[in-house]
Amino acid sequence: MAPDGRRVDEKLLAKMRVVASRGFSNSAKGLSQMIGQELSVHSPDVDLVPLTAIADMLGGPDNDAVGVYLRVEGDLTGQIMMVIGYQQALEFCDMVLDLPAGTTKDFGRMERSALSEIGNLTGTFFLNAIYEITGLTSLPSPPAVMVDMVGSILDVVVATMGAISDQIMMFKAVFQIGERKIQADFWIIPDPATLDKLTVAEMKE
Amino acid sequence: MTGTMSSVGLGEYCVSRDSSDVLIAFGLGSCLGIGMYDPVAHVGGLIHVVLPEQKAGNDPNSAKFVDTGIPLILEKVLAQGAEKSRLIIRMAGGANMLTSPGLSGTFDIGTRNIAMAHEVFKKFNLKLKVEEVGGQVGRTVRLYIADGRMTVRMMGSQERDLGAV
Repeated sequence: MAPDGRRVDEKLLAKMRVVASRGFSNSAKGLSQMIGQELSVHSPDVDLVPLTAIADMLGGPDNDAVGVYLRVEGDLTGQIMMVIGYQQALEFCDMVLDLPAGTTKDFGRMERSALSEIGNLTGTFFLNAIYEITGLTSLPSPPAVMVDMVGSILDVVVATMGAISDQIMMFKAVFQIGERKIQADFWIIPDPATLDKLTVAEMKE
Repeated sequence: MTGTMSSVGLGEYCVSRDSSDVLIAFGLGSCLGIGMYDPVAHVGGLIHVVLPEQKAGNDPNSAKFVDTGIPLILEKVLAQGAEKSRLIIRMAGGANMLTSPGLSGTFDIGTRNIAMAHEVFKKFNLKLKVEEVGGQVGRTVRLYIADGRMTVRMMGSQERDLGAV
């Protein structure tokens, strides 16, 4: 009899929810230290998402946004993408660069570098949490920052994953910083081969 | 389909002969939007291809790949009454969105998409009239069935014509 694919998925998803929760709270801790403000994580979750549905989850493919992208290499391989709405990303830069709200008007060298640093730090802290839980080590690549339409930013993920599967496993969370309520969708997309490793990895408390 | 703006998503295509229709592929990054239009029959089609080739044949969606998508959209516009010799073919997209030096080389699917498209056009004896491809910028393309106008828009800029009809 063929194994019940859906049940296996559910079991893996339950395990990954623990990773998501620990990983994102660790990322938030790192980011809070960097910007000197308390940062909270909302609804960390893991889900299987159809590739074609991603853009609509971000307000449609024509929406202007900022994406920070990193590859993950090591015991685990995959991709990390942080997507922030255009206006929110400007506010995020003010916060990180310690400027009064409304100062940042566009994404120059300095702003892109700040966003890179956020992506780098968030990714590293997340991967550290995975190491603590599973003993699997991996490192993020230097980040790439894209300021463009949501659809074209997500093409990076779609093009690398699209050849393999139409559904991808996605770790999601929304970050909120103080009262200014900046939302950043933060996605970790493991390569399929990596999922096998995570499935068999022993989970530490 | 009557008088609507039809969004052509990832790995999708749309063909129309209704003059009030506008076919749109939003936010093309490394993907390609390829439009075919017959100005006599007033039939047009737009396809949003994602990857260069249908490897191993395990993905049944031909519209997702450049090598299988071009013959597919060609077949569909011809079935609606277009003549191959009259087709105006235009293409946009194929950008390389990743600007980080450590990343871009490995993932330049945009360039591979463009190269594959040129190869397939040649194979099927199709003449590409105009293209706006490559670079590091996302594009939204529209094909107006009424007059065959195809336009490109980039973030923060106005919609403009992609060559004359």
